[in-house]
Amino acid sequence: MAAPCSKIVSRPWWQFIKNVGWTGLNQTVVRQLSRNNACGAAAQTKSKTERIPSQWKLHGAVCLQRLPVISQERNPIEDQFAELIHQMELERSLVSEHELRLLEDAERVRRKQAEDYDSDEEAEYGDQETITALDQEDAWEQKLKKFQLAPRVSDLEDDHQSVGRCLGDSLVLLTEETLGQEKVWLLPQVPWQAGETLRQTAERALNSLPEADFKATFLGSAPCGVYRYKLPKAVRTESCQGAKVFFFKALLSGHPPPSQNGPFRWVKKSELPDYLKPAYLEKVNRFILDL
Amino acid sequence: MNPIFRKLQASFILHSRALDQAALLLRASVSVQLIQGPLTFANERQYRTMPTHGIGRYKHSIPKEAPKKKKERLQMKPIKMATDTEYGTLNVKVSGYDMILVEHYSQYIHNLCNRLGVKVAESYALPTKTMEVMVMAEQGTKMYIDAILKTHERIVQLSQLNATLCPIFMEVLLKNQPEGVQLSVKQHTEADYLDRFKARPELAGLMAQKLLKGKALPS
Repeated sequence: MAAPCSKIVSRPWWQFIKNVGWTGLNQTVVRQLSRNNACGAAAQTKSKTERIPSQWKLHGAVCLQRLPVISQERNPIEDQFAELIHQMELERSLVSEHELRLLEDAERVRRKQAEDYDSDEEAEYGDQETITALDQEDAWEQKLKKFQLAPRVSDLEDDHQSVGRCLGDSLVLLTEETLGQEKVWLLPQVPWQAGETLRQTAERALNSLPEADFKATFLGSAPCGVYRYKLPKAVRTESCQGAKVFFFKALLSGHPPPSQNGPFRWVKKSELPDYLKPAYLEKVNRFILDL
Repeated sequence: MNPIFRKLQASFILHSRALDQAALLLRASVSVQLIQGPLTFANERQYRTMPTHGIGRYKHSIPKEAPKKKKERLQMKPIKMATDTEYGTLNVKVSGYDMILVEHYSQYIHNLCNRLGVKVAESYALPTKTMEVMVMAEQGTKMYIDAILKTHERIVQLSQLNATLCPIFMEVLLKNQPEGVQLSVKQHTEADYLDRFKARPELAGLMAQKLLKGKALPS
């Protein structure tokens, strides 16, 4: 699972390098480019450096993930296997110190209750402690009963806005934005400004989210994915054919504020098709790991 | 012609075997010891337990042995420095109270590195640290042992982690981290290497004395 991912990531990295190093293009070359997806062709067909500004707007987006807090539930097969292995290990194991103590105490009690009991014969009478192993076990059981375990499955499962849902899976943050006339769910993105690296753009995208301050650690300076889209013909102008969005991965660190209003959703990978458009989803699915 | 040669050879071998047998019997009759054992041919060396082992000139016909090397003193492997595209020697430390989880997780990391092509320089365990949790009784000043917690640590040392592979690697590691296990990734230093060895108090004492003497003499 991990091996194919490395290949997937290294490809967009090369694309990124070639895009950033790409200064000018002719119109005809751009039209050819829009047919084939490989940006490698663009770098090779780069003509003499005429300073035509690029027809593609660059955006930086952040894929903020909340890591799973607890381990996932086991399959029925895994359950059965775990029980079997546990049983086997129990049967093969040696007696522990505590169990030895229990046996000795039981033996001592049995000897005491025998009719010809002579306390002077007891070898370890001087060392006999007042607390027996059974008493200790009772004390431990009492403590265990007092301890409350937090529930694995909270009632926030269906609330897509809360961070505390689905503790066993990793969640991705989505925001809603208005592009043109329609509202679209996508990963938070912000247009690139000249003079900053794309990673800084992604950090800005995270910080500029309204009504929410998420503390995140970015994983590396290399983008993990790229999405390229062309604007509809009505809006297309001479200088702007479309946009390329570069995704950067970040992990949520620390506890987010409990109250999050605003157009956010925390979704699992399996719920992404409900929110994202198919073309976008296809690119995003490649770098979101579901391990 | 050939079958004739073979027959001649066979007959010759049979004759030589017969001669050897005869010679053996003769020797047996002369010497006191009984030579028991399989038939020996002229081109075979005697086994070590045979009485004639080691006698005569034979060292020229056995293969030469390389001279034995004295075991060298344990040296630290050189610590690799980070380059622009790769990290240097990194220590991935897995620690926790539950030994089974810690060991399984460190094995998982090792296997993942093998699969991804990251070179694992070393994989070792640090000594277990035992912590005794003592509880003071409400009446009285005596402390009772409440629990004994043992912290286990395992280290997987990576040597050439690609900078582009690192984010994916870290993400996979963090997503699969079990509960109760702490993960930390640091650069390897000489101090980390020396931590593995046991402290030698006598040697430390002698070195301190030597230092003192060295300081005393010039003054």
